[in-house]
Amino acid sequence: MFSKSGPAVPELVDKCIGSRIHIVMKNDKEIVGTLLGFDDFVNMVLEDVTEFEITPEGRRITKLDQILLNGNNITMLIPGGEGPEV
Amino acid sequence: MSLRKQTPSDFLKQIIGRPVVVKLNSGVDYRGVLACLDGYMNIAVEQTEEYVNGQLKNKYGDAFLRGNNGKSSRTRHLLFLTTWWHLCRSQHDIE
Repeated sequence: MFSKSGPAVPELVDKCIGSRIHIVMKNDKEIVGTLLGFDDFVNMVLEDVTEFEITPEGRRITKLDQILLNGNNITMLIPGGEGPEV
Repeated sequence: MSLRKQTPSDFLKQIIGRPVVVKLNSGVDYRGVLACLDGYMNIAVEQTEEYVNGQLKNKYGDAFLRGNNGKSSRTRHLLFLTTWWHLCRSQHDIE
């Protein structure tokens, strides 16, 4: 008897569509944006995006448009997250 | 607020012919007009400008940026690790 393994990752990501999401990358970078969509590789389409580069000064770059984020370097997704404290 | 679900392939089809910024993991930016792309996110960019640390370093009439999506993790011969494509709605100095 095998117990149910729970919701799959794509199912969980799908629930975030339309909401803010905070994405932590493998390098010292974090992205906050509104999730518009994603694909099987968890490449993500985001809008109203802010990019944070985690340096001692806490650098921040804001882009208001849409981006396609390559999923290869994503480490963690935080639904509803605001991003790091600047 | 308009909620429009948009997958990455929809996004890429939508931005063909528009000015884009392709930002690589290395921090290098490529700004140009998106000419075409394929299922692996290899892309061709026209009138490309290469920015390193925010400074213009090179200009290319045509640039090919290799995508790296795919199920194979064996072939790690990645020329570029693309971070994102930024759709430029506002005016950028492409000319």
